[in-house]
Amino acid sequence: VAAEIYALPVQNALEVADLGPVTPVPGARPELVGIANMRGQILPVMDLAELLGIAREGQRTATPEPQQGTSPTAPPGRVLVAEAAGLRVGFTVDEVHGVAEFAGPSAEARSGVLAGTVLSDGQLIGFIDVPRLFGLFDGTQQ
Amino acid sequence: MTGPDTDLVNLFQDEVAQRLDQMDSVLLTAESGNAEAAAVDSLFRHAHTIKGAAGMLGFEHIQVLAHAVEDVLARVRAAAAFPPELAALLLRATAALRAMTAGTAEPDDDLLDELAASAVGGDSPDAGGHDEGPGAPAPAQAAISRPADPPARAAGSPHTLRVPAGKIDHLLDVAGEIMQYRSRLGHTLGPEAQAFPDIAEMLSTGGRLLDDLRDTAVGMRTLPLSVITAALPRAVRDLARAAGKDVDFAMTGTETQIDRVILESLPEALTHLLRNAVAHGIEAPAERESAGKPRRGRIELRAAGRGSMVQIVVTDDGRGACPEVIDAAGREGSLTDLLARPGYSTAPEVTEAAGRGVGLDAVRSQVSSAGGTLDIRSEPGRGMDVVLLLPLSLALAEVVLAQRGGAVYGIPLAATEEVISVGMSPTLQGRPSAEVRGQPVPVTDMAAALGADEPPPGGQAPGLVISAGGRRAVVTCDAVLGTEEVMVKSLGPVLAGLPGYTGAAILGDGRVVLLVDPSVLARAPALAAGTAVPGAAPAPAAPAKVLVVEDSFTVRELQRSIIEAAGYPVATARDGRDALDVLRSDRQIALVITDVEMPGLDGIELTRAIRADAARSSLPVVIVTLHGSEEVWRRAMDAGADEFMAKHSFDQQALLSCVERLLGR
Repeated sequence: VAAEIYALPVQNALEVADLGPVTPVPGARPELVGIANMRGQILPVMDLAELLGIAREGQRTATPEPQQGTSPTAPPGRVLVAEAAGLRVGFTVDEVHGVAEFAGPSAEARSGVLAGTVLSDGQLIGFIDVPRLFGLFDGTQQ
Repeated sequence: MTGPDTDLVNLFQDEVAQRLDQMDSVLLTAESGNAEAAAVDSLFRHAHTIKGAAGMLGFEHIQVLAHAVEDVLARVRAAAAFPPELAALLLRATAALRAMTAGTAEPDDDLLDELAASAVGGDSPDAGGHDEGPGAPAPAQAAISRPADPPARAAGSPHTLRVPAGKIDHLLDVAGEIMQYRSRLGHTLGPEAQAFPDIAEMLSTGGRLLDDLRDTAVGMRTLPLSVITAALPRAVRDLARAAGKDVDFAMTGTETQIDRVILESLPEALTHLLRNAVAHGIEAPAERESAGKPRRGRIELRAAGRGSMVQIVVTDDGRGACPEVIDAAGREGSLTDLLARPGYSTAPEVTEAAGRGVGLDAVRSQVSSAGGTLDIRSEPGRGMDVVLLLPLSLALAEVVLAQRGGAVYGIPLAATEEVISVGMSPTLQGRPSAEVRGQPVPVTDMAAALGADEPPPGGQAPGLVISAGGRRAVVTCDAVLGTEEVMVKSLGPVLAGLPGYTGAAILGDGRVVLLVDPSVLARAPALAAGTAVPGAAPAPAAPAKVLVVEDSFTVRELQRSIIEAAGYPVATARDGRDALDVLRSDRQIALVITDVEMPGLDGIELTRAIRADAARSSLPVVIVTLHGSEEVWRRAMDAGADEFMAKHSFDQQALLSCVERLLGR
């Protein structure tokens, strides 16, 4: 995500998919990129960079732009579909690096939706606190 | 069978079976010694509900047994401990209830005795389990009367299966997707494929079977209104008696089918409307007589199907809204808005007649969340009509697809009166408004109403005339793409709190469209006057006439209104054959704008026919199609079309400039 690396527990990750057209939802929270067609089901798609509070290079936004083709908006790249607390949400990501096993993260860097960090091959990796992240979406947050 | 309605009995049997399943699973946990306090509460609630439902239908044996179970549980609850031994007895009771509900068992007196013994047993919680023996005193057994037969599945009635609602929804989803694939397949194969009888036959049979599949799946979600209206006559009678009023109550159309989920939310709303009608609508007998009305008031509940919607009207011949309230409603916007305003009836100036608003806001929000509308009409002294318009099925909706700012939105067809072209925006009281059939109607930009950040629509914008909650508004967009029957999908828990949308739908090409709550559009603040687009000056009348060929009424009327607003006379035709007839009879036509997919003679064939006719071979033809595929474009050009426009990128400006170019102006 925007040149930073984040990790999500594998049991919460359902799949990584190439995102088709995303329909913007006017009036919804700003992190919501829109809704997408996930094999016949409606999948809300969230901007992970926005949720993590990092600015995205080149501001890859979901601003609707009329297109000649079928897509109502520019597809924001790949989406990581995750599920927790009965909610299924897609998160926009730039790249998925793979699955790795880590020792428990150090809790020092705990903040916001991060449970902590871990250093792997000189790269700082942020661990996402899934219950907290999904806690943001629960209920009627409008 | 005689007695209660078969549907009702089936519903009862389903519900009891479900509750017994849940009781069994709780009891099994309790038997292993892991009972939680909440478990007793849930058991008690289930037993209580079964008792109540059985009592309502007159199944006294079930009522008595459920009551005995309830007594035992009340005691357990009071003692705050669940002796594991008790679970076995209660499991026997649930088994007996299950058999009796299915109509396959006679009441078991021994079991009742044991339950009664357990219920009045020793004072300590532990004693409850030990006192099951026959030695315990039997309370009030003699008082139990048992005239009713246990309900049996009606002889010869088909076996009923209970299926989780989620499975039916999934079936609908899958059916919907297959239909999308079928229509894509049809378009991919193109009209040439119709020339092969085998393929044409397979496509049409497949389509028919799929329609049947979908209708069957939708039918699984619906139940007749009579399931919930059976209790209403009694409720009205009791209310009237309590209020000292004479009321006749009649119901019609209760066989009308409606979505089960909507049905479940209706009893409360209907009871509310009826209570208002009795308490505030119908006058006391003496007052009615002095007003020259019959002593007995009349309240009716009428239901009827309206296409994909169900209309339910609660009407009374009481005093109606008083003139002051009607005047206030005129200032407020509509009677519905006034009466259904939250907290309206608690306002200090409110008199008895205005008490009609009690809780109407709750009814309205309930109706609106189901994708329906509420409308109230009244004449002082003549009574009041409350009209609920609800979707027949939450799964299907007829929508008008409108494009705004690159996204497509679906607006319920039932709330859309017509499509007009909005050019000049004269303002009325500082708000832009348009004239719709002689009436000024406020104009709102769809993007602004929904909170989308878009530049205002340019030039002559198509406007949907929306009517919801007793208000009308013209909602402008970039393009109207036509009407479609779509499968409604929930936005899911993450977006559940978002106002303005009733769900989403997936179109044939996989695009997701948001379904807009029409009452939000109708109520939205009007476009600020400054951003109103100055209308293009109407072009001087020209003899050059444009023929619009299109099988969809909406698109046809939209194109007509756009072109007419630019000053060109317009003729219309429903399909290619119709168009050729018009061309033969009307020599003024100087331009043809045609759709591709149409029954009978399609747009491509029409173009060929025009090119093949010596008298009109140079007539300009514009082809407009929903599917802007290269292949269709190539065939259109091969056939001799002058211009090709894709409907999804269709905007009125492009259409007008195309018309002007081809007519040489």
